[in-house]
Amino acid sequence: MTASDDLLSVHQLSVSFSTQAGIARAVNQVSLGIRAGERLALVGESGSGKTVTAMSLLGLVRGASITGQIRYRNRDLAALSNKEWRSVRGREIGIVLQDPNASLNPTMRVRSQIFEALRLAGVTRERRQDEALGLLAKVGINDPAGILRAYPFQLSGGQQQRVVISIALAQQPKLLIADEPTTALDVKVQAQVLRLLLDLGEQQHMSILLITHDLSVVAGFAERIAVMYAGRIVELGKTTTIFESPRHPYTQGLLRSTPRADADQGARFDAIPGEVPPATDLPSGCAFRSRCPFAQARCAAELPVLRDINEAAHQVACHFAGELEHVKRPAAESSDATA
Amino acid sequence: MTETTPPVASLRDSAGPMSAVTGWGLGGRTAAIRSVGLWLAMFLILIAIFGPLLAPQNPSAIDFSSRLIGPTASHWFGTDEAGRDVFSRVLEGARITLSSVAVVIACGAAAGVIIGTIAAVVGGIVDELLMRITDIGMAFPPLILALGLAAALGASLRSAIIALAITWWPRYARLVRAMVADIQNADYVTAARELGAQRLWIVRRHILPATVGTMLVQVTGDVAAVTLTLAGLSFVGVGAQPPQPEWGAMIADGQTNLPIVWWPVLFPGLALMLTAVSFSLAGDWIRDRYARDDR
Amino acid sequence: MTTQILRRACWSVIVLLALALATFLMLNVIPGDPARLAVGPGATPAQLAAERIRLGLNHPLAEQYLLYIWHALHGNLGISSETQIPVATSLAQALPVSIELVLAAMVINILISVPLGVIAAVRKDGWIDRGIRVFSMSLGGMPVFWLGLLLQVAFAADLKIFPLGGEISANVSQGQKITGMPVVDSLLEGNWGALGSTISHLILPALTLAAFFVPIIVRTLRENLVSALAQDYIVLARSKGMSERRVVLVHALRNAAVPSITLLGMQVGWMLGSTVLVEEIYNLPGIGSYAVNAVLQKDLQPVVAVVLTVGLVFVIMNLLVDLLALGLDPRARLAARAA
Repeated sequence: MTASDDLLSVHQLSVSFSTQAGIARAVNQVSLGIRAGERLALVGESGSGKTVTAMSLLGLVRGASITGQIRYRNRDLAALSNKEWRSVRGREIGIVLQDPNASLNPTMRVRSQIFEALRLAGVTRERRQDEALGLLAKVGINDPAGILRAYPFQLSGGQQQRVVISIALAQQPKLLIADEPTTALDVKVQAQVLRLLLDLGEQQHMSILLITHDLSVVAGFAERIAVMYAGRIVELGKTTTIFESPRHPYTQGLLRSTPRADADQGARFDAIPGEVPPATDLPSGCAFRSRCPFAQARCAAELPVLRDINEAAHQVACHFAGELEHVKRPAAESSDATA
Repeated sequence: MTETTPPVASLRDSAGPMSAVTGWGLGGRTAAIRSVGLWLAMFLILIAIFGPLLAPQNPSAIDFSSRLIGPTASHWFGTDEAGRDVFSRVLEGARITLSSVAVVIACGAAAGVIIGTIAAVVGGIVDELLMRITDIGMAFPPLILALGLAAALGASLRSAIIALAITWWPRYARLVRAMVADIQNADYVTAARELGAQRLWIVRRHILPATVGTMLVQVTGDVAAVTLTLAGLSFVGVGAQPPQPEWGAMIADGQTNLPIVWWPVLFPGLALMLTAVSFSLAGDWIRDRYARDDR
Repeated sequence: MTTQILRRACWSVIVLLALALATFLMLNVIPGDPARLAVGPGATPAQLAAERIRLGLNHPLAEQYLLYIWHALHGNLGISSETQIPVATSLAQALPVSIELVLAAMVINILISVPLGVIAAVRKDGWIDRGIRVFSMSLGGMPVFWLGLLLQVAFAADLKIFPLGGEISANVSQGQKITGMPVVDSLLEGNWGALGSTISHLILPALTLAAFFVPIIVRTLRENLVSALAQDYIVLARSKGMSERRVVLVHALRNAAVPSITLLGMQVGWMLGSTVLVEEIYNLPGIGSYAVNAVLQKDLQPVVAVVLTVGLVFVIMNLLVDLLALGLDPRARLAARAA
C-alpha cells in the first residue's frame, strides 16, 4: 500500500515485451511508494524485474507495453511522452548504474560530461567550473581539478562511480535510483560508496531507491525493503522487520543464503535450489512455488497478492504467510538484526 | 598464432572496396528476402549453363535490316546496332560472365590457399610480410590493378580473367591461414588426449564447417564483386572484346546511341545488377544459416 | 607513438616497393620481350641485340628494377609511345582533375551517407531503416559506369539540368590554371562565371562516383551507431534529461564515427581507382581517361604510371588513416604521451 504523502507511488505497474520466445512479462502488478528523503531497497535475484522497474521510473524502457500508474507529484509519469519525460529525468529523478566504466562516455572528458548535466540544471557557463569542482568535492574526490581534465578510462572504478553520482546530483533530483551501484566495485570501495550515498541522501533530503541482489548491502542502508521475484513484489516492510521475521519463503531463503559477519563459524548458508523462471514462461499462480518448500495445491491455482500482516507496514504475498513459522537463523538471533 | 596486423586491418576485412555489394544484413524478419537472393543466384547459375539453349535467336546473328528496334514481342529486349537480339545476347552474356567469374574465383582461391598455407606453416617474418601484403592487397582498388595487368597482357577476356585472378587471392589467403592456425590450436587442445582420431574429429566437426561456411560467404560476395569489376574492365575496353556479348562490353557498344536507343544499355546493366544483388543476398543467407548452425 | 608511426611508415614503403615491382613486371616482363616489341618482328638478331643493349636489358633484372625505381623517384615515368609526351607531364595535368572529382565525390558521399546511416540506426528495424538498407544495397549492386550512363541520360540529355560532359561550358572562359583543378581554380580567381559552370559539370560525375561508395558507409555507420546506442553511457545521457537528438549526435556519434572516418579515408584511394569508369563517360581529362585512352592504343607506360600513382595515393591515405585512428583514440594518445 502506498501512503498519500509519498513522493513517488507506483500502482500496479506492469511491463511486458514481445520477444522471439513469446511475451516476456518482466514486471507484474508492482505497487510501491517512496517518501521524501526515504531510502527504499528493491531486492531480488537477476531476472526478477528490478532493473526494468527502475528504468520505467525514468521512462527509459523502449518497445514495451506498460500499464499502471507512476504517480510523482500529481503527475502520472507512465503517461508521459518522451518530450515530457525530459523535464523529469535528471531534474526530478536521477540514476546511477552498475558499471561506472560503461556509464561514462569514453570519448569525452569528465569535465564535459559534468558540464552537460550542469547546463541542463540551468547553471551559466561562467559558473560551471566552480559548480563542478564543488560537486566533485561533495562526492569525496580528492583532486577535483585533475579529475575534471581526465578521461574516464584514467580513473579508478571508485572514482568513476563518484563522478557518475556527481552527475546525477548536478540537477538536484528529489529521487535517486541506484541500480547495483556497488556490484562492480572493489569490496573496500563498496562500503565507501554506500556511505557516500547515505550521507548525500540525508544532506539533500533526497530519496534513494537502492536496487540490489545482495541483502548484506541493504542492512545499514535502507529503511524499508521491497523483495521482488519474477516481476512481483512478494514482501514489503521495514528493514528490521524483514530481517527479524521474514514471512515469505523466498525472503527467508534469501536471508539464509546471505553471509553474515555475525554468524557462527560453520553456520550453513545455502542458496535457494532451482532458478528464477524466465519472464516468457511464468508458472500459474505463485511464481515461486517450484522452489518453495511449503508449496501447496492452492499455490498453483491462485495468485497470492500482497496483504498486511499483523506487524505494522509489513506486507507479504503468500497464501500461508501468517501460518508459517519463523525460520530461525542458524546462530545469530533476532536481537542484532541491523538497523 | 598472434595477429601481427594493426587494428584497422580488421576493418578492412569486413569492408573491402567491393563490400558495398556484400555483407548486408537485412534484419531478422527479412530472411525471406535473403532466401529470394539464394533462389535468384541459383536461377542465374542455371541460366548461365542453359541460357544460350533457351535463347530465342542467335546472339551473333547480324541483321542490318532490323537494327535498333525497341523492345517488341519478337525481340523482348530490342535489337542492337548490328540487328542482334539483345535478349539472346544477355542470355549468352550470362554464360560468359559467370563462367569467367568462376575461373577467376577458382584461381584466386587456389593461389590464396597456397599463400595462406605457406604463411601459416612457415610463420615468423615471412608470415608477417605475407599478411601485410595480404592486408594491402585486400583493400587495394582491384579495378586499377587489373587494368594494368590486363593491359600488359593484351586486351582480351582471357587477360582480364588472368588479371582478376591475380588480384583476387588475398582473402582466401587469410581464410586459409586462419584455418591452419585453428588446426594448430586444436593440436594444443588434443595434446592432453593424444588421440589422432580426436584431432581429426575436431577438424571435421568444428573447423571445417566454419571455414567452409566462411569461404562460401566469401565466394558469393566475390561473385558479385568480380562480376562488376569484369564488366568494368570490358566497358573500358580491356576485357571482353566485341562481338562477345559480355554485359560490360554490350553496354560500351550501346553507349554511342544513347539517349534515344536505351535498350542495349539498360538490359545488360539490369542483368549485372541482378547478379550482384542476388549473389550478395545469397551470401547473407549463407552467413545467417551457418552462423546459426555452428556456435 | 613515434615507434608506431615509424613502423607503419616502413611497412608503407615496403608495400610501395612491392607495387613498383608489380608495375615494373607489367612493363618489362609480362608483355614479353620489350626489345622485340620495340624493333618489331622483322628485325635481324643483330638489331635485336643492339636494341636490347640500348634499352638496358642486358643488365640483370634486379638492376633494371632498381633503375626503374630511381627513374620514378626522379619523376621520370617514361614516355608515352602514342603521344611522345613524357608520362609524368601528362600525369601532372590529369591528376588534379581526378583529385577534384574524388574530393567532390567524397563530399557528396558524406552528405548522403551520414544522414542515412544515422536515420537507419535511430529508426532501426522500422520501415525507414529497411528502405534505406534496400536502397543502399541496390546502389551497391549497380555498376558504376552503368549508373553514370543512366544519370547522364536522365539528367543531362532528357531533363537538361546538367551538362553532358566536359569540365566547363564552351562559352565560358576558364581563366588561369593554378592548381589544375577547375573548380578550385575558378574559386581562387574569383571567376564566378567559371565557378558556376565548373561546379555544374562536376556534379553528375561526382554523384556517379560517390553512389557506389555510399552503402559501405551507411552500413558501417549504422552498425556502429546501433551498438553505441546500446551502451550504458547512452542510458545515462538520456537520464540527464537530454534531448534525443543530442544523445545521438553528440554522444553516440562520437563513438561510432571513428570506423566510418577510417573507411572514408580508404575510400579516397578506392575512388581514385574507379575514376576510370566515370571520366570516359563524362569526358573529363583525368588520369582515368588518360589510362583508358592509353590502353586502347596499347600504350603501356601511361597505364602503368597511373597504377603506380593510384597505389601511391592509396598507401599514403592508408598511412594517414592509421595515424588518424591512433590519434582519435584518447587512450592511445595519452598512453603514448605518458610513455
